[in-house]
Amino acid sequence: MKKEYSEEILQEIAEKFPEVEVKIHAPRRLYLRTPREEVYNLAEYMFKQKSFRFSIATGIDTREGIEIIYHFTYDESGTYYNIKTLIPKDDCQIKSLTTFLPAANWIEREMHELLGVDFIGHPNLIPLLMADDWPADLHPLRRDYANEHEKLKLKKKM
Amino acid sequence: MANAKLWGLKKSPWVFHVAAASCNNCDIEILDLLTPRWDVERFGIVLVGSPRHADALLITGVLNRKSLPRVIDVYEQTPKPCLVIGVGSCTCDNHIFAPSYNVVGPYDKYIPVDVYIPGCPPKPEAIIIGVVKALKRLG
Repeated sequence: MKKEYSEEILQEIAEKFPEVEVKIHAPRRLYLRTPREEVYNLAEYMFKQKSFRFSIATGIDTREGIEIIYHFTYDESGTYYNIKTLIPKDDCQIKSLTTFLPAANWIEREMHELLGVDFIGHPNLIPLLMADDWPADLHPLRRDYANEHEKLKLKKKM
Repeated sequence: MANAKLWGLKKSPWVFHVAAASCNNCDIEILDLLTPRWDVERFGIVLVGSPRHADALLITGVLNRKSLPRVIDVYEQTPKPCLVIGVGSCTCDNHIFAPSYNVVGPYDKYIPVDVYIPGCPPKPEAIIIGVVKALKRLG
């Protein structure tokens, strides 16, 4: 099989999800810019119908809002299809993919902890990486995070 | 009695390796010390599996919010007098991790450190020299 993206899959996606904006970044990497409400359905369609593999998700705090990218790979052709979505900072929530995709469990917990994104429907949204006494409302990878950890007290001291 | 303890420590220091969230390069260099090329066991330096058996702690890695209580626990379990040796630049000054939100400063804020060995990672020779200097300081 050719080592590049397939037009058929793109056409099916465009028919089913007309809001999705496709950007061909490279022959083996595509960005599917998707509105927040459509991410769950698109990911479920790609994972269940088209047998994509969920690689990882990443989150970044940009100037426009918090951008989450779900990296899906299509192993037959070795191509990446990245679902990009932008979440406004004042309403920071998105539907969790964990309900049909258990592999997203921990990375969503991590994004919840470090970026403050609320994943609706996540079964176990508790901190993953930070220390136990880290305050829940402090998100260190946010742009407006201003070294608040320097004021925090340590749990145990000699 | 203190002198007898010190004599025992200097004669054959038993070392416990505390890997406090290091990137493993310093740990690999410490393992190198045990290989036939450097073979520190001929000087009586033995790596032990428990801090309760140890005369010296070899600490690697940058001290962070999660490893701090564990490091202090290990230090409290070590019989005194004991040597604390910080291996690698991370132990000295937090190295490249200094601006991180999770880092809580160098080790001597919390436990007394006898010798710091800089380097990223330090050469096995540097670690040997550091341990020898720490032992010489004891008199």
